[in-house]
Amino acid sequence: MKVSIAIAALYVFGLMLGSAAAAQGRGQGAAQPATRAYTAATLADGQPEIPNGIWNRRGVGGLDNGALEAQDHRPPNPLDPTPANPFSVSAREDGLNNVDRGFLDQFSERVAKNQPEGQRRNPGRERRLMGIAEPGRILPWKPEADAARRAFLLKTNPAQGLKYIEMDARCAMPGLFFGNGPFQFLQTGKQLTILSEYQHFTRTINLDGRPHVSKNIKLFLGDSVGHWEGNTLIVDTTNFNGVTAYSREIPYLTDALHTAERFTLADANTIDYEIMVDDPNQFTRPWKVTGQYNRAADLPEILEYACAEGSQTLRNIFGDPPGK
Amino acid sequence: MRKVTFATGVTALICIFSFAAIAASAQAQTLRRVAGKPDLNGVWQVLNTAAWDIQDHSGGLGLPPGLGVVEGNEIPYQPWAVAKKAENFANRATADPTEHNCYLPGVPRATYMPFPFKVTQTAKDIAVSYEFTHTLRPIVMDGSPHPETPEENWMGISRGHWEGDTLVVDVKNFNDQTWFDRAGNFHSEKLHVVERYTMTDPDHILYEATIEDPKVFTRPWKMSMPLYRILDKNARLLDYECVFYLQEERYRNAPFSR
Repeated sequence: MKVSIAIAALYVFGLMLGSAAAAQGRGQGAAQPATRAYTAATLADGQPEIPNGIWNRRGVGGLDNGALEAQDHRPPNPLDPTPANPFSVSAREDGLNNVDRGFLDQFSERVAKNQPEGQRRNPGRERRLMGIAEPGRILPWKPEADAARRAFLLKTNPAQGLKYIEMDARCAMPGLFFGNGPFQFLQTGKQLTILSEYQHFTRTINLDGRPHVSKNIKLFLGDSVGHWEGNTLIVDTTNFNGVTAYSREIPYLTDALHTAERFTLADANTIDYEIMVDDPNQFTRPWKVTGQYNRAADLPEILEYACAEGSQTLRNIFGDPPGK
Repeated sequence: MRKVTFATGVTALICIFSFAAIAASAQAQTLRRVAGKPDLNGVWQVLNTAAWDIQDHSGGLGLPPGLGVVEGNEIPYQPWAVAKKAENFANRATADPTEHNCYLPGVPRATYMPFPFKVTQTAKDIAVSYEFTHTLRPIVMDGSPHPETPEENWMGISRGHWEGDTLVVDVKNFNDQTWFDRAGNFHSEKLHVVERYTMTDPDHILYEATIEDPKVFTRPWKMSMPLYRILDKNARLLDYECVFYLQEERYRNAPFSR
């Protein structure tokens, strides 16, 4: 009897925590930090088991969440994305408004053709819809880095050269910050392998205690090592190649970037996520952004996302390369 | 006293050596397993020149010579397809979709590209991740059929199951855009590949691929080759971002016209 009451009390407490998290989520698009209410199943080696299935992420890809945790809100940055701001690249529906509509319609048709209704989502469309951050929130920029960013952004539309085109539009590896899934997590003991439908990339997080690779190895996704603390997987990543970006508004990062992520199993369908960004070349202090992975009951599998294979984006923007 | 000690020492040494020998042979015969199935987890690569030409071929500038991987060496093309293959071969420097444009290499070509690939195997799922242009191929193991849509994929859609200790992967829903090698061997969207992955010891997999395509070939034919586990310390995939590198080269001086 006593046991039942205790369980019931725990259950009610769990519900309260759950609804508090949900309210927080609706209000700010942000995830709550770990609650202790959920007991994850474990693998043979004792690691918490990430429930099987396909997951989507929200609140991070393209930093579309408005959850940048900068507390010192200064006046709105003229290059922060608002629909009224002509410099904002996010004001462009698809980030490619120097491409004629006909091409975009063809592209959408191509995407739609390959994605029968009810069978899979449309990552291309999602890509065009993301990238809208909450106005007025700004990051702890080093002044010179912010100035460089603004100068950079002014050359992106129309693009003054290849480096002003984001990886996403180039169909190249977009890095950790773009894309919100679908993802699949595969746990093999010494590694967590994350499969991404978007840009068909694989991310490996080594859990066997090995050190990072040498400074001479630079990687689009960086080199990730991790360990579990309770229900939370803590991942440390270095060795970025400095080629990818945070978003259209923060159009590059540097190879000094160091990230610390926390994946917390909150319940069978939810992983609370946060990523702390430390890049002394660009920011005066670390900052973080939070989000959530949600298990998608309606997605049976990761499908093919062929992008470079059909893309005419660069040709449309720059013209034909010589000798082609 | 001295003798006894010596004898004991010898006996102990013999015991150690015998134990080591037994352990080594046991290791050779006993595969690690995941949920009862051979554990394919790890980084693998071929040691052949099939990426250049799946058939027997002599060397040339930039062309490593090699014994082919096609059983019997002949590919049973239909008459029209013989001419098409010859045309592909003649134009290969610019027409090979994988080498020239960094497009997804297709199956089975992804397996024998001169780059490593990683197999990730859990009790329920298997995925193959290739270093070349970060190609990804999930292998669905839940017994579900291939989609019935006319959907076409560069890497096909893979459905796997175990036959004893052999992983059998049925791959369909291809497009007609990939080649089998740089020599222009090709297929249509009717391609159907059945792969068999059989571990012959903990560090080797016998890889077999049966190729069927009624639009291009007169009968099914087969490739086979060993896959070797990368045993180097810290073996892992790195980046070979072919699309990115190619763009950096082709669009270095962009914009060209506007």
